[in-house]
Amino acid sequence: MGCPVTIIFGRTLRNTPLGGYTVKKLAYYKGCLASLSAKELDISTCALAPKLGYELIELESVTCCGAGDIHEAEPDYYLHLNARILSYAEATGCDTLMTVCNVCTLNLRQANYQLQIDEDLRQRVNDNLERVGVPPYSGSVEVKHFLWLIAGESFGTLKTVAHKGLKGLKIAPFYGCQILRPSKLMGFEDPDKPSSLERIIEACGGEAIDYPAKIKCCGFPIIQAREETALAELIQPIEQAMEAGADAMVTPCPLCHLSLDAWQSKLKKQTGRDFAMPILHLSQLVGVAAGLTDAELKFRRHVVSVDPVIEKLSV
Amino acid sequence: MQVGLKIWRYDSKTGDRALREYEVDAPEEATLLDCLDLVKDKHDGSLAYRKSCRMMICGSCGMRMDGAAVLACKVRMYDIAKEGRVPVISAMGNLPIIKDLVVDMDPFWEKMRAVDPYLQPRFDQAEERENVISQPRMDVIHKESLCINCGCCVSECNSMEADPDFLGPAALAKGMRFVGDPRDGATIERLEKYSEPHGLWDCTRCYFCNERCPKGVDPRDAIAKLGAEAMKNGIDRDMGAKHAKWFVTSAKTTGWLRETELVPKTQGIVSSIKEMKFAMGLAVKGKVPPPFPPHVAAEVHESRALFDLVKTQGRDGAAGIVQGEKALGRIESHHAASGGRDPYTEADSAPRPYLPSEREETA
Repeated sequence: MGCPVTIIFGRTLRNTPLGGYTVKKLAYYKGCLASLSAKELDISTCALAPKLGYELIELESVTCCGAGDIHEAEPDYYLHLNARILSYAEATGCDTLMTVCNVCTLNLRQANYQLQIDEDLRQRVNDNLERVGVPPYSGSVEVKHFLWLIAGESFGTLKTVAHKGLKGLKIAPFYGCQILRPSKLMGFEDPDKPSSLERIIEACGGEAIDYPAKIKCCGFPIIQAREETALAELIQPIEQAMEAGADAMVTPCPLCHLSLDAWQSKLKKQTGRDFAMPILHLSQLVGVAAGLTDAELKFRRHVVSVDPVIEKLSV
Repeated sequence: MQVGLKIWRYDSKTGDRALREYEVDAPEEATLLDCLDLVKDKHDGSLAYRKSCRMMICGSCGMRMDGAAVLACKVRMYDIAKEGRVPVISAMGNLPIIKDLVVDMDPFWEKMRAVDPYLQPRFDQAEERENVISQPRMDVIHKESLCINCGCCVSECNSMEADPDFLGPAALAKGMRFVGDPRDGATIERLEKYSEPHGLWDCTRCYFCNERCPKGVDPRDAIAKLGAEAMKNGIDRDMGAKHAKWFVTSAKTTGWLRETELVPKTQGIVSSIKEMKFAMGLAVKGKVPPPFPPHVAAEVHESRALFDLVKTQGRDGAAGIVQGEKALGRIESHHAASGGRDPYTEADSAPRPYLPSEREETA
């Protein structure tokens, strides 16, 4: 659905230097935001993945992972919803389920560990899945965020893929919470000194900006129920990135993206300061460096204009 | 071994602040607390820090090491010293500093008191017979009971940094310790109280508390348990509860989150109308997907049937989270805690202890 895999897939092979690399199939769970309000994330991810050697198999009959909300309101239902997603991922025959959202990543990994380790629990959940017509889940899938794939197994090809570069653009990485913590469930990198985004920025030809709030919360989970508290959290990374001289910020999470991008206008209203800080999805940042078209990047869908970044790149 | 430390010195009376560097000769098994003792004994007697048990049970020596809250008596310095790193030691966050590494714990205790941290059995006379409680019922609060009030979770709480009145992870985990206790008779009053503003729905789910807790309490999970118990008992007037409820409704009706309706469902119609201008700004960028026709997931009837099915199985409320703790606990002991090293496979190691759970494998 909407994922022009085959067309770009052909182009990828032609662009591949010397003998090419094998194409790896991944089950792809895009989650709610990339399906709706952050469609640009889905579109740029689907355009970029084939260039990195991935064929994405989008899961058709899956639902929301429940965010922290169903985990908190109806935790037993949360486990079953995520087991159902994992089961359909397993049915594709892929060993990896790729996510593009921090919250989906935590929810799915947490449920996956519970089902993989505790056989009694898996048996109970599988009985329930089968009763409603869902195939049972054997526990063979690993959940990985797109960030981990780019900074991990495909990092070697990143420099070649990002052939257009970022012309030394100053980029502030913003990780968000649930891709780093709890580290025993995530485990990809040091939750206090992460470096995956920095390495990607540098490999794409940009300059990574360092600032303390890059591992803190954007406030999104409580932005509707406790706006004042959320905005006091949100302002920290934007303010610090600004002061460190960033041209733009990049985040692997569509929820962080939404609060950093869309709620900047509220910060302006509250503080009188117009940060005008462009916020890029990870797939857009690498996508720009890899030469994706405007139609694949969809910067028009951002609330804060990305034009200053585009201008700097086109000079 | 030589251990270098940079310590933020501070005096609240004069406001003097300075980063001082120290080097001590410590035995290889030394902890951060042992090194601070050496600094105080041999280099600078004016250094102030709290300590008591030196064995991770009193909760006195919470402080920050390279910006992350730790128990000084739990951190071994060997690897750090061997790498030649000189860590920066400072006082915990979110609490006022009195001197050097000593913080004023009064705000911490105030919030602890606010959750009524004692059993309220609510009977005038004890029953004749002993009130026997099964292990599974006590397992619900096993993790919360491990708390030693050190404040490491509070130090890094992002919500408390933004809202100093937030009850915070330690107090809320203590609240869960009594809400989940089958002997307590004040469950509803507690849940009502904890659901007020600056309570459980103010948690921003940054997971710093779980990351920092030196005892495995996982306060964020305790807060989620409180939320689940509140919803189970129909205490759902708070906007945070309504927000969470809408996710459940979305998942069983259309499968995907109905984002556009989330705002009126959370904040009510009046507030939503006030938000119209902001919403229009998002709408022109396609950030407000039209609610009609709804974006429905394929086979969403399975999701609805699952909801109806699990609701009949009696695992609602905190039980839904507790059932996963056994598995999550094993990740910790297998991976993170041992650092991948098996203490019983080395040449001079002691024989592996016999564990009842291993009976089948060894037989």
